[in-house]
Amino acid sequence: MRRLNNLFPFTKQGAHSARPVSSIPWRDALWVLPFFLFIFLFVFLPSASLLSGSFQDKWGNFTLQNYLDLFKPSILSAYWISIRISLASALGGGLLGFMMAYGITVGGLPRRLRTALLTFSGVASNFAGVPLAFAFMATLGRTGLITVLIQTLFGINLYERGFSIYSFWGLTFTYIYFQFPLMILIITPALDGLRREWREAAQILGASSWEYWRRVALPVLTPSILGAMILLFGNAFGAYATALSLTGGFINLITILIGSQIKGDVLQNLGLSYALAMGMVVVMAIMISIYYLLRRYSERWLKI
Amino acid sequence: MKKLSILILALVVVLAACGPKPTPTATPAAATEAPANTMDALIQAARQEGMLTTIALPHDWCNYGEAIETFKAKYGIQVNELNPDAGSADEIEAIKANKDNKGPQAPDVIDVGFGYGPQIVEEKLVMPYKVSTWDTIPNEVKHPDGYWYGDYYGVLAFEVNKAIVQNVLQDWNDLLKPEYKGMVALAGDPRASAQAQMSIMAAALARSGSVDDIMAGLQFFKELNDAGNFVPVIAKQATLAKGETPIVIRWDYLALADKDALAGNPEVEVVVPKSGVVAGVYIQAISAYAPHPNAAKLWMEFLYSDEGQLIWLKGGCHPIRYNDLAARGVIPAEIAAKLPPAEAYARAVFPSIDQINKAKQIISEKWMEIVGAEVK
Amino acid sequence: MKRNLRLGLLWSWFWMILGWLYFLLPLLATFLFSLRAKKDTLSFLAYERVFKDPNFWKTFAFSLEIGLITILAGLVLIVPTAYWIRLRLPRLRMVTEFVSMLPFVVPAIVLVFGLIRVFSGAPFYLTNTYLGTNALLVAAYIVLALPYLYRAIDTGLAAIDVRALTEAAQSLGAGWPVILLRIILPNLRVAMISAAFLTLATVMGEFTIASFLVGIKAFGPYMSLVGQNKTYESSSLAIISFALTWAFMGFIQLFSRGRAEAAPPGAH
Repeated sequence: MRRLNNLFPFTKQGAHSARPVSSIPWRDALWVLPFFLFIFLFVFLPSASLLSGSFQDKWGNFTLQNYLDLFKPSILSAYWISIRISLASALGGGLLGFMMAYGITVGGLPRRLRTALLTFSGVASNFAGVPLAFAFMATLGRTGLITVLIQTLFGINLYERGFSIYSFWGLTFTYIYFQFPLMILIITPALDGLRREWREAAQILGASSWEYWRRVALPVLTPSILGAMILLFGNAFGAYATALSLTGGFINLITILIGSQIKGDVLQNLGLSYALAMGMVVVMAIMISIYYLLRRYSERWLKI
Repeated sequence: MKKLSILILALVVVLAACGPKPTPTATPAAATEAPANTMDALIQAARQEGMLTTIALPHDWCNYGEAIETFKAKYGIQVNELNPDAGSADEIEAIKANKDNKGPQAPDVIDVGFGYGPQIVEEKLVMPYKVSTWDTIPNEVKHPDGYWYGDYYGVLAFEVNKAIVQNVLQDWNDLLKPEYKGMVALAGDPRASAQAQMSIMAAALARSGSVDDIMAGLQFFKELNDAGNFVPVIAKQATLAKGETPIVIRWDYLALADKDALAGNPEVEVVVPKSGVVAGVYIQAISAYAPHPNAAKLWMEFLYSDEGQLIWLKGGCHPIRYNDLAARGVIPAEIAAKLPPAEAYARAVFPSIDQINKAKQIISEKWMEIVGAEVK
Repeated sequence: MKRNLRLGLLWSWFWMILGWLYFLLPLLATFLFSLRAKKDTLSFLAYERVFKDPNFWKTFAFSLEIGLITILAGLVLIVPTAYWIRLRLPRLRMVTEFVSMLPFVVPAIVLVFGLIRVFSGAPFYLTNTYLGTNALLVAAYIVLALPYLYRAIDTGLAAIDVRALTEAAQSLGAGWPVILLRIILPNLRVAMISAAFLTLATVMGEFTIASFLVGIKAFGPYMSLVGQNKTYESSSLAIISFALTWAFMGFIQLFSRGRAEAAPPGAH
């Protein structure tokens, strides 16, 4: 079957399709009904309270105040910090993950390493929350392994120089811990899909390694890379437990704000927390639209 | 692939066949029925229900672990423990979400912060019940009709890791000393945790002599942060033991529980500050939608009996009937010895519900702005 | 050529070592801390205590079972859907991608209480039996794992020429079940394994939903309970659960090697 695949490299969808692309074929759509029914039952229905609750005030009356409150500077800054940390950890994790995935696929590292890395990535991608925060505290905290090592070896006290794990970048580095294994797991199948023949063909035509990557491999991989990046972004954007454990509530992340409204011992404004969550939906929608546009652009000459 | 599917199918069959079946619960009594009158009738009814569902009870919070095990052994009733990490708001949300649910996700009993009393009555989330020892519960900490009642209290203290902090501090102002740089932490987020908020109230008390002047408390923490002594992390037993947060502002009973659990590895000292001693009360209530109301009532009877109150005392908490127990001389000497000295409690201030709620308001608005212990 | 090859290998090894250091140092720090359970010496006391606790084994087994069922159910739901959308319904792609990301923005606590509200009363009554509650738990976990499941499968599909394979199989007379099971699935092996790993890890560590649906019967709430008052045990527990889950994933990987295991398609 894989042989057959090689006979049809860059087919264009339009050329082979006899179907009008301007409408959704409803009979075909029926087959994805189970999926959407599942989403309706188990995602929309339970979260319906998010939408209705966001329009309610403390006493259950209709109000738009919650949405107006979203534009308070402290809340806008919280969205911005959440977006920044998601972007930073997605880019950092994406880069590291890509390079490691490259190593075990195209890069020619031993096969055993591939198995070890993939399985380890599986576990590490979900190593988050309290244990991860503690692990980083134990590594880079004031009494952390690395901190103490650097102190004893080089006499440099990181904390006196202003470094702190309890900071934006500390949290970003902690997030990257579960971001880059996620990247590895997602992008490896895509890297596997790079045909050896393409590289050989490129070499025969005199392209250098760099040119091969720039003009063949990366363009082919870009849609998948984009897809992985949006996943990493969402992964960080929705993360809560790790931030709570590492920086307490002392960082203004949207998930922390929502959590403190819903979970705490304080009688707060539930409606506001729901509006905050709806705001997150909007942010994700915007990011997905950007991603989608980029992806369509990068796919325009590829088979779908 | 095929082998994998077969393996998984087999597991599914095994799971479906071997899952323990729930003990069938009797039709739960409606909240308006008259409670069982004698203890024996209550025990019978509770046994018939067969299960009690609790929520937010960590095993080392006031020695709840022993309370649960003793209850199970004594009455033969299963105890289903939900989320031990839940906050008061979670517990209330759990009652609301499970209104139609008679399954094991619906909590029968809750243990929430003092400030929640009015809300749970107003929203009709709890049912009234007066335990047999009702009269020995101080009036200020119970609802007159029995909807909720205080269970235990403690004061805010400093939990100190002696392996790191050689010179143990004695009072709030000591926290500002340069020798404690990068050492002091709260045990919660001031915007969400009662413990952290009352810590700020205690600082306010130490600074200005009153828990009403919350700004003084916020000012204190601003100074703490500016001096570099404050660590912006939610402290736990692990961070204390590791040395990341060698000084934690905590409820004394939690600090004592940590001390016991760590058993000298490292040495922990619990210091009640010389000034600014704030006491906090938690309250118990039975859910109005409890699937097992009789088991819930029996649980309350158990907790408020001498036996139950002493179990809490063992965990370092002051049970609400402490004064009554002490007056009757039923407190064993070894347990009394583990608690902080009584003089500390003599100067404790018990904030009222209004004071607590006012403080919450101010703190949640001003914390970030004033203290600026914000991770940028 | 050879120089290129060597440089290439050097590059690969550099990132690999950097990555593994990143992975292992925090774990090492946790491990070293967990050895300090006995005062002033290094010992495995914290590990002994965990292994001797019957609740550890019970809760681990419970979450493992739930995890496996979630993987199976999730794949059954997602793979045909992702395939069909790629093949026949490209217009629905954006909607599906957006929907698959929704679990990131719904806080777990809102989800669990929402699920209880919707499914505990009429007409579902799911929460009155253990089977019903476990089913609800599996459904909740599929929702949580959805972004990862969908992305993994979709990326896997992107790497193979779905249209060509399908048309070729159709021209040879294959029906849809055969196409899915014997043509598409084998080509998705790596992607499905990634999806399985991600799902299993999600389930094993999950706390909020489990804690309100089944309480301390599940592994996540158990870990949290231990973590509250047993410092060294919680560190050793983190290491143990990491190691055991890793071992189990290795087992899945080995088990699914099955027949023809040449290098994955096109790999260099």
